[in-house]
Amino acid sequence: MKIRINQNELKCEQCGAPLSEDDIYVRVINGEKHYFCCSHCADKFEARLK
Amino acid sequence: MKDLVIIGYGAAGFASLIEANELGIKPVLIGYGPIGGTCVNVGCVPSKRLLHLGEKGGDFFSSFEDTRQFVRKARKEKYEDVLSYYDVELIEGKAHFISPHEVKVGDKVIEGKKFIIATGSSPFIPEIPGLKDLGYWTNVEALNPDRKISSLVIIGGRAEALEFSQMYRNFGVEVAILQRSKTLIPDWEPEISLEIQRVLEEEGIYVITDVKVKEVKKGESGKLVITNRGDIEADEILMATGRKPNVDLNLSSAGVELNKKGGIKVNDELQTTNPNIYAAGDVIGDKMLEALAGYEGTIAVRNAIKGEHKKIDFLSVPQVIFTRPNLARVGLNSFDGDFDSRTVKMKDIVKAQIIDAEKGLIKMVVEKGSKRIMGVHVMAENAAEFIGEAALAIKHRMTIDDIIDTVHVFPTVAESLRIVALAFYKDVEKLSCCV
Repeated sequence: MKIRINQNELKCEQCGAPLSEDDIYVRVINGEKHYFCCSHCADKFEARLK
Repeated sequence: MKDLVIIGYGAAGFASLIEANELGIKPVLIGYGPIGGTCVNVGCVPSKRLLHLGEKGGDFFSSFEDTRQFVRKARKEKYEDVLSYYDVELIEGKAHFISPHEVKVGDKVIEGKKFIIATGSSPFIPEIPGLKDLGYWTNVEALNPDRKISSLVIIGGRAEALEFSQMYRNFGVEVAILQRSKTLIPDWEPEISLEIQRVLEEEGIYVITDVKVKEVKKGESGKLVITNRGDIEADEILMATGRKPNVDLNLSSAGVELNKKGGIKVNDELQTTNPNIYAAGDVIGDKMLEALAGYEGTIAVRNAIKGEHKKIDFLSVPQVIFTRPNLARVGLNSFDGDFDSRTVKMKDIVKAQIIDAEKGLIKMVVEKGSKRIMGVHVMAENAAEFIGEAALAIKHRMTIDDIIDTVHVFPTVAESLRIVALAFYKDVEKLSCCV
């Protein structure tokens, strides 16, 4: 196997913190899933869109 | 005119046949290809056998040969022999409608009062430049490989991709998963998506998410997959990009319409837009699950023949991905609405500690206020064996208190269902063994 691809790290779409199974929060906004580290970041992200 | 014509002889078709006999009807059963459909021939049965053999350390060639024999035996015992127990007229061939109440198979025209369409599904292969010319595997070839490979690229990141990645990795094959979404199994709870990715990576499987495949071409020694973020070369490519309903039946001549997913449009009684034609199983294009297909076959016949107006409670239909640990779920996700949820890690479950199976978690989703259980999501050793309890709880609209007030056996992994219910009231890390 020859791999020449860099893996993307999943990060909070609001604050940029790396996400792990211990701190991941998903919210569906306008029909699309968005990934955050907490509900507070999701609230801030959603408020920006309004 | 025949009372009932069943098109398709997989799980849904056989369940329809058996139920028809129960109701005193001798149906016509039409099918083509290996009897039994996808599940027993190129689906659940061989894939779970191969996962089991690989986990036991079986070698590549003998495991696939064992599985071929296992499939032959299962197909004979569960389909060919079963056929002889029932009163049925079997017609082998491909059916297509020629009117709202007639199908044609070869030169033969069969007129029916009622029909059940249970023609299943086939692999969906997206258009990727170079793919058709270079060749690829689907589940069919991956379960019957023509040669031993040393590396495999899997395009897709859902159930099929996860199971085949572990299956081939167990046989010592280098495996990479290319997933278009930001996580594996993106419609599952995110903790489970990330936890299973971690487990696969620990086993040496390369998981690349948020990547788009642009082209496939011949590489230096294998097949080269070119993406928007670089390329990867392997001996073979497995397309695990979902399935499409088999609707090539000239349905328009029967007045049967399709839904947005390309499956047969049905109402909640499995009746199509032709009131005398019902559909069951994968051909509907919704949840493609063997057990659900069989259940739908039974319900479709009861509604078609007896007019019972039975409906299926889809909320309580469980689903399992047979990785190790198993991934199992039933009901809604936490992100499907404004719900409350709790998560307990398997490392906090005593039985998981005892059997060294501490990877994974259980998450329960409940309605706020009533505490009615809306969803249960598990990643745990043998989670498939106890998700049925959660399904029953959801089907009967139970609350977390119903689970808490039911004594569970200690020590079991299944006990995690009660512990996660308790987590709504207390810190379960501070509990003694049996509370």
